[in-house]
Amino acid sequence: MKSCHESRRPTPLRRLLIAAAALAGIAAAPAGAQTEGGELVLAQGANPPSLDAMTSSSESARNINMNIFESLVTIDENVNPIPMLAKSIEASDDLMTYVFPLREGVKFHNGDEMTAADVKASLERYREFGATRGMLDKVAEIEITGEYEITFRMSEATPTFIEGFASPRAPAVIIPEEEAAKGANEIEIIGTGPYRFVEFVPDSHVTLEKFADYTANEDFDGPTGFGGNKTAYLDKATYRIIPEAGARIAALEAGEVQWADQLPVPAAKRLMSDPEVTVFEARQWAFLTLIMNWKLPPTDDIDFRRAVLYAIEPEEVMAIATEGFYDLNHGWQYPDRTYNAGDIGKEIYQVADIDKAKEFLGQSSYDGEEFQILTDPNYGEHSRAAVVIAEQLKGIGINAVVKQLDWATVLKIRLTDEDWNGWTLMQGLEPFLGPYGIAAKMTGEQPHQRGTDPVLDDGYNRLITGATVEDRQQAFADIQTAVYDLVPQIKIGDVGRMQAGSARLKGFKPFRAPRLNDVWLE
Amino acid sequence: MSDSAAVPAPRQYRATLREAGRQLRGLLRHRSIRVGGVLFGSVVLVAILADLIAPFDPNKNDFRAMLAAPDALHPFGTDAFGRDILSRVIHGTRLSLLVGLLVVVATGVLGTVIGTMTGYVRWLDGPVMRVMDGLMAFPGVLLAIALAAALGPSVVNAALALTITFTPRTARIVRGSVLVVREMPYIEAARACGAPHRRIILRHILPNALPPLIVQMTFVFSVSILAEAVLSFMGVGPPPPTPSLGNIIAEGRAYIQEAPWVALTPGVAIALSVLGLNIIGDGLRDSLDPRLRNL
Repeated sequence: MKSCHESRRPTPLRRLLIAAAALAGIAAAPAGAQTEGGELVLAQGANPPSLDAMTSSSESARNINMNIFESLVTIDENVNPIPMLAKSIEASDDLMTYVFPLREGVKFHNGDEMTAADVKASLERYREFGATRGMLDKVAEIEITGEYEITFRMSEATPTFIEGFASPRAPAVIIPEEEAAKGANEIEIIGTGPYRFVEFVPDSHVTLEKFADYTANEDFDGPTGFGGNKTAYLDKATYRIIPEAGARIAALEAGEVQWADQLPVPAAKRLMSDPEVTVFEARQWAFLTLIMNWKLPPTDDIDFRRAVLYAIEPEEVMAIATEGFYDLNHGWQYPDRTYNAGDIGKEIYQVADIDKAKEFLGQSSYDGEEFQILTDPNYGEHSRAAVVIAEQLKGIGINAVVKQLDWATVLKIRLTDEDWNGWTLMQGLEPFLGPYGIAAKMTGEQPHQRGTDPVLDDGYNRLITGATVEDRQQAFADIQTAVYDLVPQIKIGDVGRMQAGSARLKGFKPFRAPRLNDVWLE
Repeated sequence: MSDSAAVPAPRQYRATLREAGRQLRGLLRHRSIRVGGVLFGSVVLVAILADLIAPFDPNKNDFRAMLAAPDALHPFGTDAFGRDILSRVIHGTRLSLLVGLLVVVATGVLGTVIGTMTGYVRWLDGPVMRVMDGLMAFPGVLLAIALAAALGPSVVNAALALTITFTPRTARIVRGSVLVVREMPYIEAARACGAPHRRIILRHILPNALPPLIVQMTFVFSVSILAEAVLSFMGVGPPPPTPSLGNIIAEGRAYIQEAPWVALTPGVAIALSVLGLNIIGDGLRDSLDPRLRNL
């Protein structure tokens, strides 16, 4: 292995990251006359379960936390990893060492300067409490190699490590060393981001204000993704918790909020003709899926699962579940992505094959027992999909029942082997970030389907350790083939998301969380 | 008062029937009862004939007709699943009335037993009524929501939750009547004649304590329909895709500006049912309360 200093010579990975970062930065550079000051009020549907960013993978928390906290690396506009609090990412040729020189002079919201000690403490805390701490499994040691330098020693070469480490799902954010010594959800909310935490009143609002001493990353020409050269124009931002979609729309139309999330599609279409409102369409927002429970009859039977797969007519489910804002896509990656596996499974997916479904049902040991579809009313797409799927399955003689419970209860039940056979779920960040998150949910210690299969396990292992892109593409293609054969999950289609903002809101571009930087109010 | 036991049974039944017929004719002469009866009777008829008169399967999805405006094919439009609103409201009305009926019967039986026992048996009064007071201390609909959430979403659980909620009020009304009636001279006379407690309760006290209970039952019926709609609206009523008036409104609230027919149609159905029952209740109160009879 080369020494850290030797490894500073740009490796192919490093050159790629720097080039991608520079390009993305240029592409997203802001233009025009921005207005400083003012308060932006945002409406979202749910409370953040926690503002301890490491511990929560919830979207409602991420919407807020991505503006308070920053991590060593993050993703750019094109979902490529880029340095954020790191100055650069230097990987050894054998991928057993990663050196992260840190940006100097970065201030925490408490006024202290960030050093390598804060970074090490934060990442050690992430290993303990991080909601996606598995991404650090291959890191054997985190070493302080300078006041502004941190080094990872890996236990196994993992070419996809940086992609996973950059994930904003439950980001590995950097917090002051003294806070990192505290337990989960016990910290003061102190980050390095452009906005600092002011107050959180559950079921009411979260308030942030501009961090005057924010240290922008001048290695970039402009903002990109969750990183780049970020500028805070707004003085204050308030996230109002408004669970009811109709109330969010009314608040937007009344001018009480300037941005609203998760709008019903018919309402969003109506708002498109309102000159006071700008509607933002995020077309590739999530995959709508039906997860199978391999541990409970009748879904422990592969023939039964295949019967369900063949019985589902995706267009009807998608049209109703998404209120018409969808794309039919058999793939477990978006069509324009590197790891898209082509036509694998397309023939099975396209239209329901009732004869084949009945044939598989006949081969199975199914004896009329209930096929319980677990769902929740909190995400309309989930509950509507469950209802339509249940009706379609009844058509081939499956005794499908919809088991609708609140979201929190659903999340508890789905972690057990009992009381559910299918579970309707939108998977948003996983496909957005590439193939790893999606594949990880079908293998390992806690797969969505509650069981594992050697074919899937092998595919995932080859995916994360494959030396070349082609190796990894082949591994993902094999996974997609296995998914259409073993049916751990059923892909229903791609779901869009409607958001809207006041016409006064400028600079806003939809991303995985609303970014307060580089937006302003006219 | 004469002891009815002395009258031969067939003659007694004929007399009872004649008296019941006379009372029914008297009630039907009351305009409120006739108007309410026609209104509520129509709703009941729709519920009974739901399978025959609903133009579509209430759970039949049609993604090519999502949120379609009212037209000749779908006179009240369709919902976000493309399901016919008229058919869903017809079937939802049946379910609402079924829940209301279950609650009325269960509440009537339980409330009558508890009210009568606590009113007649003095030592039971204190402890049992304190339990009833405890239940009444919770806001009715909130208690029903909590119970339904704890029991899980289903028609039976919704009815059970509402029964638990409304029984204390019914028991209190029956107890009040029993307390008054048991002090009447004819009860004292029956006791003096050696009539057993069971006979005194069943033949002398209950018939005379019934009028307030009958009025209360119309109230319980209408409130149960409303409460079932609330439970379904909150997501703790019958699970989807079972249509109930409350869950149809809940599904329509997100489209209130773009497709108001989804929420308005079941709302009108609830209003008609409750209005009919309330008018009947008013009429019954006027007819059965001697103080109001000649006003």
